[in-house]
Amino acid sequence: MFNYYIKLAFKSFKRNPILSLLMVTAIALGIGASMTTITVNYLMSANPIPHKSEQLFHIQVDSWDPNNPFNDDDDALPNQLTWTDATNLTHAKKALRQSAMSMSGAIIEPQGSESKPFEASIRLAYTDFFAMFDVPFLYGGPWDNNSDSNREQVVVLSKRTNESVFGGENSIGKDIVIAGRHFQVVGVIDTWEVMPKFYDVNNGPFNETEELFMPFSLKEDLELPNWGNNSCWKSPDGEGYAAFLRSECINTQMWVELPNAQAEADYLDFLNNYVRSQKELGRFPRPLHNRLNDVMEWMERQEVVEEDAKMMMWLSFMFLLVCLLNTIGLLLAKFTGKSSEIGLRLAVGASKADVFKQHIVETACIGLVGGVAGLGLTLVGLQGIKSLYGDFVDDLATLDASMIVVALVIALVSSIAAGLYPTWRACNISPASQLKNQ
Amino acid sequence: MLKMTDVKKVFRTDLVETHALKDFNLQVGEGDFVAVTGPSGSGKTTFLNIAGLLETFDGGTYELDGQDVSNLNDKHRSQLRNEKIGFIFQGFNLIPDLNLFDNVDVPLRYRGFNSAERKKRIENSLEMVGLAQRMKHLPSQLSGGQQQRVAIARALAGEPRFLLADEPTGNLDTKMANSVMELLKTINDAGTTIIMVTHDADLAKQARRNIYVRDGQVSEL
Amino acid sequence: MKQSQPQTSTNWELGPILRAMLRNKVGAILIALQIAITMTIIVNSVYIIVERNKDMQRDSGIDNENSFYLTSVGFGENFNVPNTVEEDLTMLRALPGVIDAIQTNAVPNSNSGWSMGLKTQSGVEHDAVGTAVYMVDDHGVNALDVEIIAGENFAPSDISLRTVGQVDWPNKTIITKAMAENLFPDINYADVVGKTVYINDIDPMVVVGIIDKLQAPWVNWSNVENVMLSPERQSFKGSRYFIRTEPGMRDTLMNQVEELLANSNNQRLIKGMRSIEETRERSYRGHTAMIKILTTVMVILTIVTALGIVGLASFSVNQRKKQIGTRRALGATQGTIIRYFMFENFLISSIGVLLGAVLTVILNVILVNAFGLDRLDWFYIPIGMLVLWLVGQAAVFGPAKKAANIPPALATRTV
Ligand SMILES: Nc1ncnc2c1ncn2[C@@H]1O[C@H](COP(=O)(O)OP(=O)(O)OP(=O)(O)O)[C@@H](O)[C@H]1O
Ligand SMILES: [Mg+2]
Repeated sequence: MFNYYIKLAFKSFKRNPILSLLMVTAIALGIGASMTTITVNYLMSANPIPHKSEQLFHIQVDSWDPNNPFNDDDDALPNQLTWTDATNLTHAKKALRQSAMSMSGAIIEPQGSESKPFEASIRLAYTDFFAMFDVPFLYGGPWDNNSDSNREQVVVLSKRTNESVFGGENSIGKDIVIAGRHFQVVGVIDTWEVMPKFYDVNNGPFNETEELFMPFSLKEDLELPNWGNNSCWKSPDGEGYAAFLRSECINTQMWVELPNAQAEADYLDFLNNYVRSQKELGRFPRPLHNRLNDVMEWMERQEVVEEDAKMMMWLSFMFLLVCLLNTIGLLLAKFTGKSSEIGLRLAVGASKADVFKQHIVETACIGLVGGVAGLGLTLVGLQGIKSLYGDFVDDLATLDASMIVVALVIALVSSIAAGLYPTWRACNISPASQLKNQ
Repeated sequence: MLKMTDVKKVFRTDLVETHALKDFNLQVGEGDFVAVTGPSGSGKTTFLNIAGLLETFDGGTYELDGQDVSNLNDKHRSQLRNEKIGFIFQGFNLIPDLNLFDNVDVPLRYRGFNSAERKKRIENSLEMVGLAQRMKHLPSQLSGGQQQRVAIARALAGEPRFLLADEPTGNLDTKMANSVMELLKTINDAGTTIIMVTHDADLAKQARRNIYVRDGQVSEL
Repeated sequence: MKQSQPQTSTNWELGPILRAMLRNKVGAILIALQIAITMTIIVNSVYIIVERNKDMQRDSGIDNENSFYLTSVGFGENFNVPNTVEEDLTMLRALPGVIDAIQTNAVPNSNSGWSMGLKTQSGVEHDAVGTAVYMVDDHGVNALDVEIIAGENFAPSDISLRTVGQVDWPNKTIITKAMAENLFPDINYADVVGKTVYINDIDPMVVVGIIDKLQAPWVNWSNVENVMLSPERQSFKGSRYFIRTEPGMRDTLMNQVEELLANSNNQRLIKGMRSIEETRERSYRGHTAMIKILTTVMVILTIVTALGIVGLASFSVNQRKKQIGTRRALGATQGTIIRYFMFENFLISSIGVLLGAVLTVILNVILVNAFGLDRLDWFYIPIGMLVLWLVGQAAVFGPAKKAANIPPALATRTV
């Protein structure tokens, strides 16, 4: 019977090709527009580290100005930590793993005359960074704890940096000149792009991973520049780099790994106690207010999903709605045009259920064809987004299997929903009215 | 009154040319009641359509009310139809979305009467066909005979000089057919010229004059 | 013969059309809803487009077409920043085609820079007005192509050298007119010259000049015209140079400068060479993209709605063929038939655009609350209504024309 309905659907398609094509186009456009924006939003709000996002916490402490909150939002806490607090908290080692971190950059001078010096971005962090975030290694591994405390000049390279400096070979133990100093390569990481780049959303949540990783403690020794966001409510006490580092300016991120709720509660206690002890030293002039945000909470708080993307998604849903209203209208027209056929079927003994099934199948076919065409349009749409926004959205504009399923499901569900009323009307044609003349 | 001389009508399709009317000659006087009979496909409807300015013709002359209508433009023809001619169709042709009042109203609107005038005429003509009580009903709520009477009311509301009817009783049983025929005779007695195509010989006999169409030509009986 | 006098007035058949429509509500409602939502999307989109466009059209203050910048990063052991900067600037300023060149810490519209707060009274308890800071020497005004409209430029002797981690500030500043008005709302901007403002809560700076207009680095900042110039060169490892050229010389000079600087010193690298035009293009890329996307959406949506109307109208013409033939037989002219369909569509569209006006305002309120957009100007709504009316009328014209061509003989030929 199902096959018979499919056959009827295609017959009906052929009988009203323009009307049918119009419906398929409308659904395809609606699906194309919504899927494009859904995909972008989905990727922007993706969980970058799903298997442990609930055990990783970004720390916030209110170290801000006594006279003004960090921003107008009631609940606002500074979005970064001071160098002092981040280092203190990391050294306290009260979590399973912890790392203060910040972004910097320096010039790499490759040995050998062919390659020119170039500038590279640096992620300054503690060794726990790699284990905490499950960073995959191609060669070697993270530096050890001693390198952190002894401020050893060791470095982990990104795959790309290793390629441009060492031609991609295993460079463990080799020497590399960074910021005018000699460093020893201890590890090369494999491709590692987290989307969004959750550990430092201030510096562009969709930027690429840094090209070098080195011990955070070297920031002071090498007087490495601050590439990330830096905000101050009070100017440093005294001149020079050391004074800047020890100022109340916030420029450092801090992540900890806490395996369970107990550890989380304990850590918050510890954090509160730490702030209390700092208050005794005359710091932290504002009321006690500290917070642990797990990865997704942090993404939410930092509004990683672009407002424009959200806005576009809502507009595209309205667009889909128009397309569906369009389809309802056209289906209604199509089924009304078939009312004598339906009357005849009812008269020769078809049940209402039969007629209902026949038309729902017809609608679903239109929805499915529209959905497939819509997927094609989604690819076009995503391509358009790429060309409009440039390289940085490359990873935001790709269609994965789950999105394809979502597209087809939306197409089917919405077209069947659109078909319900016209189908219901079709089933309720009285057989008599069609046989009567006029 | 109505005078056709050597009127020709050719229908051209891709394959065939049909000479629906060949040198059709007819004169109908004021107040006449002409019944037209003839075999199927002989050109009766074609004649009626040309007479009623629904279709143009390919040769000959046609004078309606002393006016040569051969070369009138579409707009002019529409106006003439509206003012001088009333139509009754085999399928009644009531507009299903409109109630009886609005159906009868249709030609009056095109005529441009004001609403009071229209209301008066609609009520009078529905009264005349005995359906004044059902003004707010939809056509689908009436029997075939009642529907045809509404169609007659609609044709008469504009007080046309001519009433053209193409098998007005074709879809009705004998009893209904007779009552419609009685109505037409009353109307004719009141002065309206009627031309009626019919297949029913008994009804045709009741008309003042009978013509027979064969092969697109008239042969008077 | 009886003869009644026909009225001359055109008859619009309002009553019968409405009553017929009420009997086929669903089709009419669907079209009205489509028109309403389409109008809602279109009006709000147009509004967003106009607002974004306005943002992009704002005057940056600098010579967008003829300016570029680059960064020189020193890395050798003996790299001496102040000397290099002095040599570089002397060389750059002497280049034919260069109007002026400066070292600066930040570039307008580039989305990265420094901000500080200025106060009119000294002390932590007073409120500060946020401002972007450009550190420039006495050539700054000329290189940035801004005009001093009150007071005077920095003198060469005012220029100090800023070191890494330095916290104090020079004692003179030049601010924009907008900044002057934000700091001292009650007095004329020209009278701000000579006033003392406080940076870092307590460090005094005297306003020596007011410039007409200059934008901050952050194009989406609400106070984008709050800018101060500080008379300083910087001895940071990375020096940014901003160069203004004579018209048409920019591209040639960009190549030339890159080569000259790279060759003059092998202990540094030149990066980030970029024209202001390109920078602005990047900073406004989100805007440009949004405008293009919304425009596309609007066009497609209008087409979809119009096609929907065409589809339904054609269908209804087909359904009503016999009725139309009958009307023609009863005396309707072709014009009357066209008018019938156009007027029917007009009525449906009217319901649509009225609903659309309400929905437009609702969506705007939502956008205002959720995304911080501005309130819609009222006149967008009547214009939107008019446009949708016209779209409806244009869409229905084809099917109406088709209806008018139905021959009156159809009345007798179909049963
Ligand atoms: N639109 C048309 N195109 C082509 N041929 C036509 C058309 N209309 C009528 N004809 C032909 O013209 C001839 C006359 O048709 P007409 O309808 O006048 O016959 P009739 O006498 O009314 O027949 P009936 O009694 O069956 O109604 C027929 O042969 C018919 O096939
Ligand atoms: Mg006939």
